[in-house]
Amino acid sequence: MSNQATLDELWKVRNAAATTLTLTEHQMRRAVRGASIDELVALVETFSPARAVGPEWSRTFEPLVERLWAWRDDATMAALAEAFRARGPAWMGVTNALSPENGEHIRGDLRQPAWARTPAFGVS
Amino acid sequence: MDMVQGAATVERLHEEVQEVRYREATTTFCRLVTEENRPLKTMIKEAIAAAAPYVQVPSHLMRLPNGELRGVNYDHTILGWRGAIALNKEMGGSRGILPNIQAMWYAPQGLNVWEQVVCEFPGHYARDGEQCNAKFPGPDDHVNRFDGPAWTVPKIYFEDHAPIEDGSVDDRLVSMNWAIAEGHKDEAYGLFLGLAKDPSARMKLKDAILFAGITDLQDTIINRGGYQNIGHKALRARALVDTADYLGWDDSHALFYTVVPDLGCSPRLYGLWTEINTICKIDLPHYADIPRRTAKPLTEREMDILTEALLWGGPFDVNNVIMALFKRGAGILDVGDAVIVAFQRYFIDVLEHPNAFLHPTHALDYMNVVMSWARDYENPHRVKAIFMGARFMNDAIRSNAIYTRDPKTRLEPRSVHKAWADSIAIDRMLPILKDYMLQQDAPHACALVDSYLERTTERAKLLDTITYAACHWQNDPHVMRNCSTSLEEYRVNQTSRKDDLIRGYAKHQSRYVKRAPTHDCYRVFAQYFQPAE
Repeated sequence: MSNQATLDELWKVRNAAATTLTLTEHQMRRAVRGASIDELVALVETFSPARAVGPEWSRTFEPLVERLWAWRDDATMAALAEAFRARGPAWMGVTNALSPENGEHIRGDLRQPAWARTPAFGVS
Repeated sequence: MDMVQGAATVERLHEEVQEVRYREATTTFCRLVTEENRPLKTMIKEAIAAAAPYVQVPSHLMRLPNGELRGVNYDHTILGWRGAIALNKEMGGSRGILPNIQAMWYAPQGLNVWEQVVCEFPGHYARDGEQCNAKFPGPDDHVNRFDGPAWTVPKIYFEDHAPIEDGSVDDRLVSMNWAIAEGHKDEAYGLFLGLAKDPSARMKLKDAILFAGITDLQDTIINRGGYQNIGHKALRARALVDTADYLGWDDSHALFYTVVPDLGCSPRLYGLWTEINTICKIDLPHYADIPRRTAKPLTEREMDILTEALLWGGPFDVNNVIMALFKRGAGILDVGDAVIVAFQRYFIDVLEHPNAFLHPTHALDYMNVVMSWARDYENPHRVKAIFMGARFMNDAIRSNAIYTRDPKTRLEPRSVHKAWADSIAIDRMLPILKDYMLQQDAPHACALVDSYLERTTERAKLLDTITYAACHWQNDPHVMRNCSTSLEEYRVNQTSRKDDLIRGYAKHQSRYVKRAPTHDCYRVFAQYFQPAE
């Protein structure tokens, strides 16, 4: 690409998208922090292979799990894990994602540089 | 060498196969080749004949008493032989015999699949998948009776038939395809036998049987349980054609009996074929005129777009991208080659769970059948088969993705070990690669492959190492089939990214779930054939 004006425009568009995403993350954080256990269980249930509207939805589970571990405490996460543990092999991935080992891994990976407004979550 | 009682005879081999005494059958097979100097080809023919009456099932859908349906697996014995014959040519020497010994080891375990899934006959499905011994244990707690030997004779679901020879070749070919599609197995088989006797009809017959197999493919496997075939009709047709070419068509009756009746077995699935016909009629009316290759192969950017659609898009994204490539003048094999290499990124970058390789590797093997058909035949529908293969790949990816990723099967990135791999001298790398593949350590194995590909243009020994290591694993004819697909497609692929085929090959052969942790079959092979390591 050789056109500087186009690069500038692309950067503006990128920044607009980043701003939109950041504002959405703030709204999501407030919603997750205020949600009851039952409401969180209901959200996670939408990732059932029988109910997911498609792979595009299922693929967003990991970014959601990152946020749950970032924004909720261990007791909440343990209650969530307990709700899914007995549901059989189809839920194994979910149960393991809610395990303390995975939580430790995720929290260890998330970073908050001084200049950043949110942790380095998975985007997609 | 272990002492083996009695003479090695073909009759003994037949008995051991039918009695599901796979260890003994493998030893007898090896002795016939090494001690009795029987040609390998003849013994393969005998092993196929021993199993032939017992590999058919009444249906690939079993209706349960409560009205639900469960899938019944497809015969894999012949797929093992087809892969093994291909690998024998690829590897050569005594090492090339190993895949054949693996095919022999598996064959007695793959009889009477219908009885196996209901725990009434021993074999691989009963022992492993169904865990029948836990449900119906024998008197000795330490013996898994579903490992064999059989306590009853295997059932024959489809009796052999006489050839049907009335009518012109073209009329009989049309009738055969109609009979397959309608599930008239007797008629389809009889017509095939009649046509197979006529050498002048051979190319048309091979083309027709491949067409029948390729067009019978599910539109999705997502939440479909047993209502799919994951490409087995096509894989079976290719096994028939290649194995008959190897054995000689006049010497292949047992092979025909093994393969052809099942092509008409239910379910027969033409939803995807119908969809692709419809979109080609609308947007690609001159599909039959598209040549194998043109002067307009895919650009790097187009390969990126195709990769994005195949891995991350939906089915209509895949249709749209492929349609655009054909409409702008790319050839059948130009697009097919690109689909094959694009799919490797899924193996290389995305797949982690060992169980999740099953459907994607079937999709790759199906695409290999499509590509071989496109390379060797002039059928006007070949363009449509490229769509079919790409859709199967995309659907296999989406089917895996409908399940959330399990963090417990997380793989460390191969790049972590790149510096380590780069520190190893080139001439020392391949034995180390073999060791890591035998340990099923994908990150190390793949880092070694990445480093090797960057540092040398040598490829033949690398491919041989991956293949030979892969063929150490027993009880799984998929291994031979997957290997032959990767080797064949690498050899003919004309994209700039063909090395991705090796990266993907190393990944799935060092990560795909294994059916046994031991290498007993390899040890029998080594005992009799003493391969150069």
